Amino acid sequence: MTAPFTALARNQSKVFGLPNMQTAIMPHPLGGLPVPQVLAKVDAVFDEIVAKLTTPLPKAQVESKLARSLWVEVDVKDEWADLQQFFMDQGWGDGMLAMPPTEERVAAMVRGSGFPANHVVATLAPKMGVATVELIAANAVMAGARPYHMPLLIAAVQAMAEEQFNLYGIQGTTHCVAPLMIVNGPLAATMGIHSGSGLFGPGPWANGVVGRAIRLILLNIGGAKPVEMDKATMGHPGKYTYCIAENEAQSPWPSLAADRGFGAGVTTVTMTGSEAPHNINDHDSTTAGGVLLMCFHTITETGQNNVNHPGEPMLILGPEHAGTIAKEGFSKDDVKRAIYEEARIPLTYFSHEQIERRLTRYLPKRFKDRHPSDAMVPLAQRWEDVMVVVAGGTGKHSMYVPSFGSTRSVTKPVLKPDGTPWTPEDFK
Amino acid sequence: MKLCSPEAQSLPPSSVKPVSRPESLSGLRIGFLDNTKPPADKVMAHLDQRLRERFPGAQSFYVSKTAASVPATPEMMQALKLNCDVVITGFGD
Repeated sequence: MTAPFTALARNQSKVFGLPNMQTAIMPHPLGGLPVPQVLAKVDAVFDEIVAKLTTPLPKAQVESKLARSLWVEVDVKDEWADLQQFFMDQGWGDGMLAMPPTEERVAAMVRGSGFPANHVVATLAPKMGVATVELIAANAVMAGARPYHMPLLIAAVQAMAEEQFNLYGIQGTTHCVAPLMIVNGPLAATMGIHSGSGLFGPGPWANGVVGRAIRLILLNIGGAKPVEMDKATMGHPGKYTYCIAENEAQSPWPSLAADRGFGAGVTTVTMTGSEAPHNINDHDSTTAGGVLLMCFHTITETGQNNVNHPGEPMLILGPEHAGTIAKEGFSKDDVKRAIYEEARIPLTYFSHEQIERRLTRYLPKRFKDRHPSDAMVPLAQRWEDVMVVVAGGTGKHSMYVPSFGSTRSVTKPVLKPDGTPWTPEDFK
Repeated sequence: MKLCSPEAQSLPPSSVKPVSRPESLSGLRIGFLDNTKPPADKVMAHLDQRLRERFPGAQSFYVSKTAASVPATPEMMQALKLNCDVVITGFGD
């Protein structure tokens, strides 16, 4: 491995039961260098590799800790200066002011969940941190969330822990992915999750604090501390907070939750591994074909993971764009099929290294028997993988949200401990 | 002020008992798990060549992940277990 990946590799070997795994570390990078330079770096550690393969392993230091919260006494003079510095020193936060997770606040948050404090919701990669209700609550307090948000957060943690979500890949990758939380159903409004104008940005609604709670959970429970464990080259602003609701009231189509088999009375949380949203501005088209043509050509960018990974590219249509498309009788599935068929990139737009090392290697069937001069690269493996969501408010804008690629979105119902759905009546 | 640390502890791992290290790789089966990050394939091929030059009779066995950001499948791990005495892989890029 190369030096910047050492901490993540050591953590993974430890949490998966092989703390004395042997490594040879080379100077970064290997990727992007001429082959002779790469092989020279390998030659420099060759004897070390041989020695480590043929020398008895050092005795492992086995750690065994219980899944319990750690309460700490902090002696600070000023809650809004000394304490915030303490959070930074501990590596607990996201760099912004955080609410102190006191006993009283954490207990109120736990009560909001309906579960006991020590209930284990999931383990979260890469640290394989044990996500108890109490720990989720502590992070929710720090983010500024309210006790009635706990059911959403628990559903989100359950979703992110599903194998198909590939949280390990999402947390550790150099790619800029962040989990995007999409709320559907009756509790979205009750819990203050905004679906209308400016929903990705600031406002007096709960999107910010709920999305931030997810990020703090990923940092503190999942252990994806930036630089050491989260290897994002760039990251994106959605890694601070990334939470919206679908604008079901203004959508001409069934909701994302309905697509996934949930009834109207069930609130759901869908987690996707997503890049930052990219705007699609079309104030002029008056037909479905016109709006979709703008979408096709905005979203066909070569540097996205959807060209070489089997992910779920997402189109978030503003209600006015969705209305223009739907009034001509097009269904949501028609839009998905159109994106799959028409939003394609000529293979000649990619370097020969990209074609050889990525495109034909990761997705060989797609390029089998195709000559590069006439091959076109779709953004999904099948039309059903394209996600279409309606959100936002007044105006002629939509969004394209590329996927991390090596991930599948997961939708979870927001349920009480007895398995029945939480409803707005529960919060009156 | 008494505060709840927001940091989780890791799930206690099921400890993996490693096999004993050999004294030499001569005649052994050396596995290479390619993480697919460029140029892992070239690194592995170069290591393979040098190891077989140094250790007569050594054989190589290759497994390639489907993509860098997903784990090796249980089938891949089983193939390495059945066909290799030692395994080398890469991490990161």
